[in-house]
Amino acid sequence: MQKFSFNRRLVIIIVCLIVSFALMTVSVAIRNKKSTPPLIQQFGNDIVGLADRVVALPANGLRGSVSSISELLNTYQENQQLKKQVSELAQTKVRDQTLAKENKQLKQEIKLNGSLTDYTAITAAVITRTPSSWQNQVIINRGASAGVVKNMPVMAGSGLVGRVSEVNKTNSKVELITDNNDSANRFAVTVSTKSGKTVNGVLSGYKAATGQITMDNLTTKSKISKGDKVITSGLGGVTPKGLFVGTVAKSVGSDYGLSTKLYITPATDLGDLNIVTVAVTKQ
Amino acid sequence: MYRLSKMRFGFPIGLFLMLFLDGSISQIFSVHLFSTPSVMISHLVVLWLVCGVLFEENMPMPLVKWAIAAGIVFDLYYTGIFGVYIFVFPLIVYVTRVTIKYISPNFLSGLLIYFIDITIVEALSFVASRVVHMTAMSGSAFLVNTLAPTLALNLAMYVVLYFPIRGVYNWLK
Repeated sequence: MQKFSFNRRLVIIIVCLIVSFALMTVSVAIRNKKSTPPLIQQFGNDIVGLADRVVALPANGLRGSVSSISELLNTYQENQQLKKQVSELAQTKVRDQTLAKENKQLKQEIKLNGSLTDYTAITAAVITRTPSSWQNQVIINRGASAGVVKNMPVMAGSGLVGRVSEVNKTNSKVELITDNNDSANRFAVTVSTKSGKTVNGVLSGYKAATGQITMDNLTTKSKISKGDKVITSGLGGVTPKGLFVGTVAKSVGSDYGLSTKLYITPATDLGDLNIVTVAVTKQ
Repeated sequence: MYRLSKMRFGFPIGLFLMLFLDGSISQIFSVHLFSTPSVMISHLVVLWLVCGVLFEENMPMPLVKWAIAAGIVFDLYYTGIFGVYIFVFPLIVYVTRVTIKYISPNFLSGLLIYFIDITIVEALSFVASRVVHMTAMSGSAFLVNTLAPTLALNLAMYVVLYFPIRGVYNWLK
């Protein structure tokens, strides 16, 4: 009898392991291939997302009030600095508007309906973050019903922070640029050097120790120096052109000495995300 | 009697509250918890389940069923990778139940049991993530950068929350 019970336990463990691996493999495959998760999962996630807001909204509100008190202390100094910046910005903005208008007219002139730089923005709030060390992932409160589609780029502050990895009806998951997994979609970017040349490439990963994005396998001869701006190139899919990724922090030869490797300082603080913008390209 | 007590509704409500608090804590304190390279993960759900076993005493509760439910929600809503926590959470309940047969549950022995449980949760999720290529972290980096800070955070949370949670359980009974 004792032996029987031991065998039964072993069988249960092995069955559990097999089922677990099967489920994981299937869900990873679905996540990588399909544009939306299965209907049951979507439905479940929508309901859980609604329930989560009951907890998340008061928690985020509390956080807002606490941080506003602590920010009150250096408000005066910040105000002085910001006033100066605002007067400069107004001028830039007017010029920007004029240029955008001119650009639109010129496009109409040559009957160009949409170019790589055109996109509309969906603003979303971050509900919660995945409590896991393996996935740098946040959940936002806009989904398919607001027009979010899988793989769309997500921005916060002044720069790119990640891409939409799963879309439900009323919420979606955003995989941050700091995520290092194999299936992460790497962004096609371009570096504009000081000499006016552009270098195209693909982001290759994230170095957690220094908090920098890496870009590998560059075989360019043009010199890339510190401070050069990195923006998305708009090549190969749903990402529009011209989203700011960061600035070059360091340019080194790669491990085998054949190509160049770049370390990029992200434009936004990736740790602290509250409001994000999903960029929707017109297609 | 479990069926007639407030526990019947109180336990699941507390469980899901803890589940959502995990996410909210990770979001609110993301600057401090996810400061690279070391990462601290809050596991309040596991704390709630372990406390369920510790304070169960003479009122058996369907902990495994609720652990599976919490695991399903965690997998689908938080990670999107189905099949990890759905097995890990019930395993934690089972392991804790086996351990308290040998050690009588109190504050200090509970701390030790919770230490073991968090180690199991983190280790199994690490193995699962390695298998499906969610991470490329090496074993030693896992020990230093994830397991150690996570244990520190969760044991501190245990110390702070043990007596309040015991109060809640006594009230629910």
